[in-house]
Amino acid sequence: MPRHLLTDFELMILLAVLRVGDEAYGVQIAKEIESTGGRRVLLGAAYAALDRLERNGLVSSAIGAPTPERGGRAKRFFQVTPRGLRAVRNTQQALVALWHDVPQLKERRP
Amino acid sequence: MKPRNVPRFALLLLQRLVPGSEPLAGDLLEEFARRPSRIWFWTQVLAGIAHARFVRDVEIRPLRLVGLQPADAIERSRRLRLRFPPVNLSASPVDGVGGLGLVILGALVTVVMPQGWWLLLGSALGGTAAGVLAIAIRRPAR
Repeated sequence: MPRHLLTDFELMILLAVLRVGDEAYGVQIAKEIESTGGRRVLLGAAYAALDRLERNGLVSSAIGAPTPERGGRAKRFFQVTPRGLRAVRNTQQALVALWHDVPQLKERRP
Repeated sequence: MKPRNVPRFALLLLQRLVPGSEPLAGDLLEEFARRPSRIWFWTQVLAGIAHARFVRDVEIRPLRLVGLQPADAIERSRRLRLRFPPVNLSASPVDGVGGLGLVILGALVTVVMPQGWWLLLGSALGGTAAGVLAIAIRRPAR
């Protein structure tokens, strides 16, 4: 079966979900990408990507309890599925393989 | 409890235009309580609407399905729930307002503010121009 490779934003989202763990919902995922990945994230874009990943079976989501500080709205928690984890590994392998033997990227020694 | 000065119209717009946007609205409210910037809020809402309604789903690429094994293709086709907006068959552009309601609304506008029809004409022409522009932009490259 061909490997499922991810776009850079999908990869960042999946890694952020994995890093945050059980508390992975929109705000936390965006914060993780911003603080660790150094990329500003629009929440709407993150949700669009997460919806797409869920349709492809790479993440699953569950609705939490509504909270007053969110105007009575519930959080949507995300988890990476085994298939999503496989996709992350495949993408990592592909990127690492491409990284090797690129003369322009080799470290210059003094 | 909602934070003070929340742009309610932005929230309303989000809920009307993006089905299932409750968690996103909650996230925006939570963040707005931390950084009460209306510009930030509006930017997030408009970007959310744009992503949900206008950004094409990159998964709608037939060649991706062709490259898969049959069993997986069936599974992915099942998961690939294409989002089509509901078709309004009531001859009314406004939810909950029927044809008679529109006739009464039109009569009221004519009596109270006849110049309002120019606004309608301008909106229709603007909408048509925007539609033509959107089709021209989204035309696939040959």
